[in-house]
Amino acid sequence: MKAPTLPAQQLVETGTTTTKPRKSRLGRRTTRSALLFLVPFMIMFLSMKMAPIFYAIYQSFFKTERSGLGVGSAKSLFAGFENYFTALQNSDFIASFGRVFLIGIIQVPLMLTIALFLALLLDSAFSPFKRGFRLIYFLPYAFPGVIAAIMWSFLYQPNIGPFSGWLSAIGLDVNFLANNTVFFSIGNMMTWGFTGFNMLVIYSALQAVPEELTEAASLDGAGWWATAWHIKIPAVRPAVILTAVFSIIGTVQLYNDPAILAKVAPGISSTFTPIMAAQQQTAANNYNLGAAQSVILALVALVLSFGFLKFTQRKGADS
Amino acid sequence: MASRWFKSTAAAAVLLSAAALSGCSGSSSTSPSNATESRPAGQPVTIEFWGAAIGQEKAVDVFNAAHTDVQIKYTQISAGSAGGYSKMLNAVNAGNAPCLGQISYDTVPSFAASGSLEDITDYAKDSKDQYSPAAWQLSSLGGHVFGIPTDLGPMALFYRTDLFEKYGIAVPTTWDEFASAAKTLQAKDPAAYLATFPLNTYDVGALSWQAGGQWFGTENDAWKVSINDDASKKVANYWQGLVKDKLVVAEPAFDTAWYTSLQSGRILSYVGAAWSGALLEKNAPGLKGKIAVAEVPQWNKGEHASGNRGGGAYSVLKGCKNPKEATEAAVWLTSNADSVTTLVKNTGLYPASVSGQKLPAVTAGSDFFVNGSKTAEIFTTAANNTPDKWVWGPNMTSLQPKMNDGLKLVGAGQGTVPDLLKSVQDSTVADLKSQGLSVKE
Repeated sequence: MKAPTLPAQQLVETGTTTTKPRKSRLGRRTTRSALLFLVPFMIMFLSMKMAPIFYAIYQSFFKTERSGLGVGSAKSLFAGFENYFTALQNSDFIASFGRVFLIGIIQVPLMLTIALFLALLLDSAFSPFKRGFRLIYFLPYAFPGVIAAIMWSFLYQPNIGPFSGWLSAIGLDVNFLANNTVFFSIGNMMTWGFTGFNMLVIYSALQAVPEELTEAASLDGAGWWATAWHIKIPAVRPAVILTAVFSIIGTVQLYNDPAILAKVAPGISSTFTPIMAAQQQTAANNYNLGAAQSVILALVALVLSFGFLKFTQRKGADS
Repeated sequence: MASRWFKSTAAAAVLLSAAALSGCSGSSSTSPSNATESRPAGQPVTIEFWGAAIGQEKAVDVFNAAHTDVQIKYTQISAGSAGGYSKMLNAVNAGNAPCLGQISYDTVPSFAASGSLEDITDYAKDSKDQYSPAAWQLSSLGGHVFGIPTDLGPMALFYRTDLFEKYGIAVPTTWDEFASAAKTLQAKDPAAYLATFPLNTYDVGALSWQAGGQWFGTENDAWKVSINDDASKKVANYWQGLVKDKLVVAEPAFDTAWYTSLQSGRILSYVGAAWSGALLEKNAPGLKGKIAVAEVPQWNKGEHASGNRGGGAYSVLKGCKNPKEATEAAVWLTSNADSVTTLVKNTGLYPASVSGQKLPAVTAGSDFFVNGSKTAEIFTTAANNTPDKWVWGPNMTSLQPKMNDGLKLVGAGQGTVPDLLKSVQDSTVADLKSQGLSVKE
């Protein structure tokens, strides 16, 4: 009866008492309260983000079967990968990936180059009105995407927009909504909207570059460009990679701009981008195929962004 | 100290998660259509109603004021193509759909074919004679009633009287005259156009309808698809001719640029539905007193045929606990004189009910038009001369984007309307077959 209480008594007597247990209990308390704080987030995250994803995956393995006129109740049957095969054989859907790839391969590097250049300009010592310019560059990002798209759709229209008139005044006949130029028009909208955001990310990274480094460089006689090229750009490489990953994901999910321009641009079909194609299937009440297309789209975004990360990491390790 | 801190964080976390939870339930509490399931005696039945037409809620107020046993709870949703239909289908799939939904005729078969509508034949069949036959046909399928017709969109020709006079153009009564008037106008002013190219499936549908075409039909429990029939081909060739001769403007109607063109005199006329009048009045106020309404040009001189563009029904969605009351409410809303008058005045619709078409609100017309007092007569004649065999197919939601994409390209000079009809015919048949529906070509 006495033996089991002995160690505890000893502890009390030696004075080490409860320090150790209390510490761990405190730790447990912090974890517990941290978890409690996480509860609202987790509820929303699970119900609004994870549940729909799993439901979409689930739906993509079923198909609806009707008969006759179709009036009456439809049956839902397990279809395996049938919807995936249908989606991958759908030329409209495949073509939509080609289009965003074409837009992205030109637009993303161009936009990030501009963003990097602007960030370097702002960071350089001789740039006056830094805060004002930072705000001006960032401002387009503050426009809700749909509003910006509507604005551009007005600006591009030959009859009511100003650009076509200006260009024809100097002898250029440009239709921003023609089948081929519309790609550049969309790229322009994306660049206008997101350069400022990317610039801000890179600019923040530039702020963390130690001043001693740049000072040492200028003491060694390095000019603005040499400092930027040899010190600043390598230092912000992770930030540039991050913005590139954001941009890749954003491009794969391209929707607002073409969806709004579709009304006035003949070349923008209702399946112009993968999201538009998936949405059209859903609107046509073919939820299962729409779900399969969405899952494919998510996988492509995943592969592209992780692939890019892996690629840049390997390159970084090599050099 | 520690425990007090713990308590306050715990309390804060509980509050936060409670807020999050109530946020979740708040969004779903808008559709408790099952609330009527076990109502206590003496309590009125509540019919939930989702609609997109702006101003429709005023008719619901009229209904509620006149009834004690049934009350309608109206929710404004976005237009069908802008997400309203997806919302309804989602609600049906989730089992919490409202009792009544406003659905356009072209979508009624899709909804019915997806099993999202209640068959209300038993409750509605006695009301058939109160509506224009074409309208009743449009909200029925294979002898079953799937909605109570609300409005129609009889087509007419809207034209600029001042400019017709200026260029010396007589109001065309046939399509041949229309085409030669377009040529005359081009010769006199190369910057002006008589016609707007139909960039929308439903414009092409209405024009084919007027010509006697019939894109869909049902025969012995099978769908008949004939988007490429002779009458539709005739219409396709006619508009292709206008496109080839560059006599049309291929810009989307009812867009800002289009209204600007109408008011500046770049576009002189428009073949549109009755409801276009209200839109013109609102968005092109500069045209007041300069625009008139005439009968749609005819294929054969002396005929008075018209097509129908738009219009829809109040349908009972699957899962409604009170389909009988919902049907009766829909009939009342669409045929009662006070309700229809309210609808005409607030939404600008053209009624589908025969008695509604004779109401002063309809016959008075608007002084926006040169011949305002005569417009109602023109629309009523058009409504009564719209062929009543037309039904829409069960996959308009996938047919429409395909045809719209093609029409946009034709307008921009790529492809032709006849080729487009053929390809849409083929893809529609394939689409129906892939859904397991019976098709007869």
